[in-house]
Amino acid sequence: MSGGRRKEEPSQPQLANGALKVSVWSKVLRSDAAWEDKDEFLDVIYWFRQIIAVVLGVIWGVLPLRGFLGIAGFCLINAGVLYVYFSNYLQIDEEEYGGTWELTKEGFMTSFALFMVSVTENATAGCVISQSSQFFRGSPLIVTLCDLPTVFPRLLRLEGLS
Amino acid sequence: MSTMFADTLLIVFISVCTALLAEGITWVLVYRTDKYKRLKAEVEKQSKKLEKKKETITESAGRQQKKKIERQEEKLKNNNRDLSMVRMKSMFAIGFCFTALMGMFNSIFDGRVVAKLPFTPLSYIQGLSHRNLLGDDTTDCSFIFLYILCTMSIRQNIQKILGLAPSRAATKQAN
Repeated sequence: MSGGRRKEEPSQPQLANGALKVSVWSKVLRSDAAWEDKDEFLDVIYWFRQIIAVVLGVIWGVLPLRGFLGIAGFCLINAGVLYVYFSNYLQIDEEEYGGTWELTKEGFMTSFALFMVSVTENATAGCVISQSSQFFRGSPLIVTLCDLPTVFPRLLRLEGLS
Repeated sequence: MSTMFADTLLIVFISVCTALLAEGITWVLVYRTDKYKRLKAEVEKQSKKLEKKKETITESAGRQQKKKIERQEEKLKNNNRDLSMVRMKSMFAIGFCFTALMGMFNSIFDGRVVAKLPFTPLSYIQGLSHRNLLGDDTTDCSFIFLYILCTMSIRQNIQKILGLAPSRAATKQAN
């Protein structure tokens, strides 16, 4: 199969400027899918990055993976996974979209900010759980798994904002 | 410590609400007006047309073709400028609302550690991340830093979900 040439498919409907219809997601995992609309494909890349950011934020926060190593790891995985997806799996012709850099840039900063929020939330939850734990004071991951049923209600207890 | 997690969740919730509020204000003042709809459609049409023309143009293209492209670029620039002027109304309203809201939230969360960062921020960011916090633990996070991170991530996603983000072609030509 030559790069970028695909069999014709009727173009999928898309909501305006960034939201995606359910039918688009059915194309996402098909390596032979045709991407007639460039914006549609870029939106898929964008939302994939956001999902990766949230998932990695949860994993990094729970492990915990701290410091700039964690941030560098996120950047590499985020860029690497999407690169493998569009380059090897879908075999997209990157030049049609302005090159590999344009595809890598798509939604990267927003996903980075989302990752920071996700990892901070989970790191904070980990700190709170390990502080409140009656059983373990070690890895928040172990604490989380063992103590969640008893600790979670205390975790969400609001003691007022003042 | 348990209130810290509740504060973290609350700040994410505040960020979502303020992003929705900003888009709501912009919709009321800008997005639903005929002038904005007309200008936006015009800008998107021209951007796509110009992008296609630039892709097909070659080095040896005639002077007339290049002049035509320059005229189209000028027209697009004028329309973009008009679009920005229309958006200015909502920007003032949002700025005014947010100044009041931020003042209120800053006083509520003043001096409170709202989250624990999983890393030590760079020194020039610590002024923001450790703002008005006691102690030397630089992994303590202040309200404003977490709010900025939340806004950076959540606002654009909300715009995309609601279909209110500008098209890529228009953004590219505007830059």
